[in-house]
Amino acid sequence: MELLIKNGAVVDPVNGNKGDKTDISIKDGKIVNKVSTKATVIDAGGRLVMAGGVDAHSHIAGAKVNVGRMMRPEDSRSGISPRTKITRPCTGYTVPNVYAMGYRYAQMGYTTVFEAAQAIMKARHTHEELEEIPIIDKGALTLFGSNWPTMDFVREKDMDKLAAYVAWGLLASRGFGVKCVNPGGGEMWGFGKNVTGIDDIVPSFDVTPREIIVSLMKVNEMLGLPHSVHLHCNNLGNPGNYKTTLESMELANQVKASKDRQVMHVTHLLFNSWGGTNWGDFESKADEVANFLNNHDNVTGDMGQMIFGSATTMTADGPKQYANAKLLHAKWSNGDVELEDASGVVPIYYVKQISVHAIMWAIGLELALLTKDPYKMLLTTDHPNGGPFVNYSEVIALLMSNKKRQEEIKSVHEAVHAKNKLPGLDRELDFSEIAIMTRAGTAKVLGLLDTKGHLGVGADADISIYDIKPDQIDPSVEHAKIKSAFSSAAYTIKGGNVVVKDGQITATPPGRTYWVDAKVPQQYHDEMMKDIVKKFKNYYSIQLANYMVQDEYVTHPQVVKAGSVPVEVN
Amino acid sequence: MTVITDALCPFCGCLCDDLTIVVDNNKITDIKNACKLGSAKIMGHHRIEAPMMRADKKSEFKEVSYEEAINEAAQILFKSKRPLLYGWASALCEVHKKGILLAEETGAIIDNTATVCHAPSTLAVHEKGLPSATLGQIKNRSDVTVFWGSNPVHAHPRHMGRYSVFAKGFFQEKGRKGRKVIVVDVRKTETAAMADEFIQVQQGSDYLVISALRAILSGHADVVPESVGGVPKEQLVKLVDTLKSAKFGSIFFGMGLTQSISRYKNIDNAISLITELNAFTKYVITPMRGHYNVTGFGQVCSWETGFATAVDFSRGAPYYNPGETAANDVLMRKETDAAMIIAGDAGAHFPADSVRHLARIPVIQIDPYWNPTTEVSNVVIPVAICGVEVAGTAYRMDGVSLHMRKMIEPTLPTDVEVLDRITERVRELRGE
Amino acid sequence: MQTVTIKPRKEIKISVEGENISPDKFGGKTEKEIQSLVAWMGNQKTTIGELFSVKVEGSGPAADTKIVLEGDFSRVKRIGEGMTAGLILINGNVDMHLGAKMSGGKISVNGNADSWAGREMKGGELIVEGNAAYYLGAGYRGESCGMRGGKITVMGNALDFVGEHMCGGEILVKGNTGILPGLSNNGGKIVIGGNTSRPGSEMSKGTIIVNGKVEEMMPVFKLEGDEVVDGVTYRKYTGDVIGNGKGLLYVK
Repeated sequence: MELLIKNGAVVDPVNGNKGDKTDISIKDGKIVNKVSTKATVIDAGGRLVMAGGVDAHSHIAGAKVNVGRMMRPEDSRSGISPRTKITRPCTGYTVPNVYAMGYRYAQMGYTTVFEAAQAIMKARHTHEELEEIPIIDKGALTLFGSNWPTMDFVREKDMDKLAAYVAWGLLASRGFGVKCVNPGGGEMWGFGKNVTGIDDIVPSFDVTPREIIVSLMKVNEMLGLPHSVHLHCNNLGNPGNYKTTLESMELANQVKASKDRQVMHVTHLLFNSWGGTNWGDFESKADEVANFLNNHDNVTGDMGQMIFGSATTMTADGPKQYANAKLLHAKWSNGDVELEDASGVVPIYYVKQISVHAIMWAIGLELALLTKDPYKMLLTTDHPNGGPFVNYSEVIALLMSNKKRQEEIKSVHEAVHAKNKLPGLDRELDFSEIAIMTRAGTAKVLGLLDTKGHLGVGADADISIYDIKPDQIDPSVEHAKIKSAFSSAAYTIKGGNVVVKDGQITATPPGRTYWVDAKVPQQYHDEMMKDIVKKFKNYYSIQLANYMVQDEYVTHPQVVKAGSVPVEVN
Repeated sequence: MTVITDALCPFCGCLCDDLTIVVDNNKITDIKNACKLGSAKIMGHHRIEAPMMRADKKSEFKEVSYEEAINEAAQILFKSKRPLLYGWASALCEVHKKGILLAEETGAIIDNTATVCHAPSTLAVHEKGLPSATLGQIKNRSDVTVFWGSNPVHAHPRHMGRYSVFAKGFFQEKGRKGRKVIVVDVRKTETAAMADEFIQVQQGSDYLVISALRAILSGHADVVPESVGGVPKEQLVKLVDTLKSAKFGSIFFGMGLTQSISRYKNIDNAISLITELNAFTKYVITPMRGHYNVTGFGQVCSWETGFATAVDFSRGAPYYNPGETAANDVLMRKETDAAMIIAGDAGAHFPADSVRHLARIPVIQIDPYWNPTTEVSNVVIPVAICGVEVAGTAYRMDGVSLHMRKMIEPTLPTDVEVLDRITERVRELRGE
Repeated sequence: MQTVTIKPRKEIKISVEGENISPDKFGGKTEKEIQSLVAWMGNQKTTIGELFSVKVEGSGPAADTKIVLEGDFSRVKRIGEGMTAGLILINGNVDMHLGAKMSGGKISVNGNADSWAGREMKGGELIVEGNAAYYLGAGYRGESCGMRGGKITVMGNALDFVGEHMCGGEILVKGNTGILPGLSNNGGKIVIGGNTSRPGSEMSKGTIIVNGKVEEMMPVFKLEGDEVVDGVTYRKYTGDVIGNGKGLLYVK
């Protein structure tokens, strides 16, 4: 199957293209040098062409998401569209059904999305949902930060067994990377408590979040995993938490990367860049966080941008979610996973006139505007915590247009003038920088830059064409056009198949599920398994034989191999 | 002879996964670790051996081929203006997915057995959420366990041994001795007999009792009358103290709460009690689901349609409103003009008026066994037994999904095959 | 002034979704146009004209439109849904979701109304001469607000969950109601002429007045004393105490 995209204004920062008219040749799902005359031709008509969008952090599948759906029929009924000849019915806004999840990402020109967190014990559920999300390539990050085996091996300072556990855990969950949420806090929440800083000792396990984070980073690099440790810092959502965030990011200096990428990715920094001491003197410390990133090359982050309106908070940060529910007097779901982690789901409505919300909204944008290198600050909304992913175009427009930002600032609570730097920031990102924050940078952070996030030969043929001509539009002034173009792709091509045309789904091929198969020396695996067997004998409520995700749950696997490598440790 | 270890039991929401099954010549000859209920299900009993049909329900069934039965089923559904696809709870998730697709294709209402069981819990979750945990959390941590309107000794025999009362855990090394067990029920059940404390409430007054507990907990004991639902105020105050004293409290609830007056509001209220207890100490609540995969239907339906059950596809998009779109809602109004009942026994569990209406309309039954639903059916299609002859996915009462093994080879087609063929035939009839 | 008279052509057994039977949808349309408006019956897409005989007299916009429904509409749902103006007069029984989300105009039923009448109502007036069923003036599953404005009057009885999640507006039931009226009430006023049970549970704001007997009081109300309202002496309670609710419950 051959395809030729002619006349596109290609923005491909990885390959140095900033909008030159370049033809793209596609054969058998890959970008190639050239194709025969039999190729189907798409004339991009001078319009913007980018690699398909790549999202490193979104809650799209699994137990939390489904609890969100069950709790919120009022959300499900708000985004309903009936079935068509090629699409199943769609429902929901903050918690879409699986079909809407795939179609809507594709309609925005996104082709690869990673589920932000799955507990090993519930990974089968995550994969059942991922299997049913059409079109996009996907994967899931596996939680390790509060698992009993993790904490035991960290306490014993046994990195070999910890590496073996992580390798085995990724296999058991068919996971793509190491996720660490409020490390240590998941265990504390088992008795309704939490950690308050990275040096708190988790009782019964005698480890600190600091030790957990550093150890996981070490084994992540020992295993040479494609992605780095993906960290949701302790103290999320508490005024003053920026200090914990900076302390956590400092830890990255203790480990050297095994690949050309960061050793720590800190997620949804909007919620972790807070100054002040309470809701009264709450203020932005995005500048401090951005400043850290500007001065370090071993840490990356993503925004977690907030969108006004309805959202559903859902994270593995169980204690934070309970606190949220209490504060908001909202309905609350909680889902502890034995020996592993926690989770909580709470609906929220972000309001422009609430000072705290306005300050938060500005923090997200500041993070992007103050971090000089767009490779270090990816565009996310921590869907659906900050807001649903269908609003990415709003974020793009805000980043590209100071005019739009100033208009928005006029309509939100005036606290942003005192508590944020945003009103004074006039930086406007260009198409290349946006392409980095939504494609190239994400692919690099995830360790998938060989096949994703760019349009060079060898890349997967995942391409989006948007209805704007980069050389004829002034994004600063015509931000409404930018927003509408990025909301609804003129073309989305996935693996060489046209799946979206003029914002409509034209085909629904299944995507692939990325997961990492890491090898460790057999003796360490065997030693580690002795401990695991004991855990199942005594503490888990299911049998070890029924624990691991079976092949039938991942029907289109894309396996990335990894394994133990000696690594320099500072 | 084959020995299958770590097999899963296809009976109740405990979804025990430590069974050992001995198979000889494609027959199950021994089962270890299962309770009586599970063993009976796995051993099975006399099955329907071939598809059968009858034009009118008063006549005898005539044996037919699968082809004929499937064709007739497709015809019935294709012609129907308000079809109902009901049951599902004794089938695997793979079957549920086919059912939802068929409901979409035929513009039907799809509902599951929770409608006579725990559907009220789902309604409560819409209001209050669900603060819960996997069963291992309770095993490892819970020192106060309450069974409210639930009698596990009778209905979930291995629950207390595996998860909640007798089990030993990391923080509960003493097992039973380290736990306080409280039963709240309208009569002294077998479970109440072995509990540390039994609180008897008057029939239908659970809602009032829970509200009273919440009032006491929130510091407003002064407005609570001297007796609520037959329980003296003193006892309620003492109960609140006991609940607060837990390091990790757990409440399990059953039909006693979901099916008595105020129904879903009972659960809703209980969930609020749990949420409010969390201000003092850790608490979780879990529904004691009946069928081994009723939870699975709720999960699959939620991720595919946005709604957990009782979904009406008549206009091509999912519409959800229990009280309007649940099986008994449409049956009692005599709106349903055709029904397919699969892996669920409407004939046995539905109100008399619903069953009377089923007797008037064309009914397709897909089930391995003869049961009261067979009596009101026109087309009966026997299938392989999920979880015994067919492998697939099921969800335990706490939402943990597990893969059920095949124990013996099926001799009949599976639910999935039958539904696939019916759906294909419906599409042919529609001219696709 | 436009008057549209609708009569069912034959007995309707499978419920019809009649959201297009509304002054907003009929206003300014000819008889033919009204007849070709969509109506779903079960999974069959059909038209108003197929199911009902339609007679139009005069013409006018929604505000000047009067729709008269003659006959048995007990299987026709969503009549008057979202209407903003005009009048609907039903001489017969009517099915669920009557006047749901309406924000103006008036609906009058000379018969009984099924469940969810006035669901999520924002304004306007709804009168039921006969009985109402469950969830009168209530919300949709999971929403924190049901009725926000407008007035509902039921001359007969209603069943459980009257005014559930009410945030504003007024409901008057002259007869008895089922259990849990004013559940999770956050504003608005409910007046019950007859008997009820378990009123005002989880109330945070709003007013409930019961003139008949309360079979079971919720154990979450604080007795403030006696108060005279419109010349009648009531025992006045505040609650639901659990959430420090400031709702007012008046019981005779």
